[in-house]
Amino acid sequence: MNFLNFKTRLFVYIGMFGSGKTELAINTAIDLRKQVSRVALVDIDVISPYFRSRDERKFLKTKGIEVIAPPGVLSHADLPIITAQMSGYISNPDYFTVADVGGNEDGATVLGSIKPFLDSTSKSVFFVINTLRPFSTTLEEIVKNIQKISKSGKIKINYLVCNTNIGSETNGDNIRKGEEIVRKVSEYLEIPVAFTVVKDGIEYSGKFPVFKLKRYLSNLW
Amino acid sequence: MKMLFKGSEAIAEAAIRAGCRLYFGYPITPQSELTEYMSRRLPEVDGTFLQAESEVATVNMMYGASCTGKRVMTSTSSPGFSLMMEGVSYMAGAELPAVFVNVVRGGPGLGDIQPAQSDYFQATKGGGHGDYRMIVLAPHTIQESVDLMNLAFDLADKYRMLVTILADGMLGQMMEPVEFPEMRDPNGVPKKDWALTGASDHEPRKVTSFNIDPYGLEEMNLRYQATYKKVVENEIRYEEVNTKDADIIIAAYGTMARIVKTTIHLAEKEGIKVGLFRPITLWPFPYKQINKLADTVENVLTVEMSYGQMLEDVKLGVNGKAKTPFYGRSGGVVPTPTEVLEAVKKVMVGDLNG
Repeated sequence: MNFLNFKTRLFVYIGMFGSGKTELAINTAIDLRKQVSRVALVDIDVISPYFRSRDERKFLKTKGIEVIAPPGVLSHADLPIITAQMSGYISNPDYFTVADVGGNEDGATVLGSIKPFLDSTSKSVFFVINTLRPFSTTLEEIVKNIQKISKSGKIKINYLVCNTNIGSETNGDNIRKGEEIVRKVSEYLEIPVAFTVVKDGIEYSGKFPVFKLKRYLSNLW
Repeated sequence: MKMLFKGSEAIAEAAIRAGCRLYFGYPITPQSELTEYMSRRLPEVDGTFLQAESEVATVNMMYGASCTGKRVMTSTSSPGFSLMMEGVSYMAGAELPAVFVNVVRGGPGLGDIQPAQSDYFQATKGGGHGDYRMIVLAPHTIQESVDLMNLAFDLADKYRMLVTILADGMLGQMMEPVEFPEMRDPNGVPKKDWALTGASDHEPRKVTSFNIDPYGLEEMNLRYQATYKKVVENEIRYEEVNTKDADIIIAAYGTMARIVKTTIHLAEKEGIKVGLFRPITLWPFPYKQINKLADTVENVLTVEMSYGQMLEDVKLGVNGKAKTPFYGRSGGVVPTPTEVLEAVKKVMVGDLNG
């Protein structure tokens, strides 16, 4: 995936809780960094208590990516902290920035509060869909989720991302069925599908461009 | 069809499939997803989700709802579970079935929001007052959490006891593929001849933990004890991995056991045969089973995300037949498989004794 083709400087990932936004944000930042020198990953997830971009801060630093998240011990808190720095990175034209937003409409609310900064920059907003997650399995459910999240984030969605997976046991059939549902959503809402996420190690080609994903938020075992 | 679920969401869905339609709770990290899932899902199946004003209110709502004979549950995390203890004791005394889920976080006190196992004592040795017991189930994968949920409700009904699912923040937050059992008919669960359902067609019934007459109260206590004895005789569950001809046995439960399963592979590469003894029921604890295993090794190493809580039960079980060294981390720090392997090596050369 060549993210420069999106002709944008800011990549915003939103979606339902547990749809895979963080993993995708990390992968996008790493991919971008291969082509441009200044990449920041902005962790504005105020929903998840574990498995957040900030947890990979050290690792991402070794890859030359700046992680913008609450400083010091505050980064462990389950409090809705948004650092002031974040708006600076979003509006700085020297940076390519990836925003990892918390799940559901509550997570997207944050976007409304930083709307002036978001509006001042060229951005692409991606709605991540995993059709094998609860409350996201049908056209009706997904459309409702998109409308709710778009409304609470006061943000227009530019692309859909098909991220259908069940983790380590994902197979091509899962992805194919996911693409079928996401295609219907795309037609219904007239929002294009940017790509389908396929985990490294699975051979797959389908309806949409494939983005090979590497898993970084690993478990201990 | 397998789907991708967070541990806490999976427990919630499994409870609904087990016929639970009444959930009372108060959100607390790292299990608020369970509460949130219930708030969305229960109305879809004509159930009742009620967010209480506190954990104290929650447990009393459970008491009342359970009196009607319906399947009820709540979920919380450590400080919240502490708040529920008064009601837990009252429910145990009134022989009310219910399921509690404690997704343990670092303590004591407010502690933090990271995974821990330091509520073992509270779950298995009381927590509330009086001579009571709770059945405590400890899953180590999300699929197992789902499978144990059905069992939890069945055991609660069968013995008129409280059942606690003792998980930890890691199990509550991580995601795995899961498959759910079929939806059970909530009206299909066994009728309860003690439930308070209106006395128009039978003598009025009473559900209480109170008896002012000491002999009467002693009689109630003897009845509880008889029930607990039956549970000890019939409901012990555990898993053994690689224990045959093992150089050392590790005793661990929940997330810790899962980490040890990786340690087993790491150790194998270095020529050490590690066996795992994993209690699934923490109460009743599989004392006899671990005692038998202790005959085969020199060391039974207990590994916990706490400081020697299950170790006490392991020692009671092993009963001096083997050494019982210990390794643990706390405060939300999760030991890595390599760290556990290091502890194993120390035990093998006599640097870590017990």
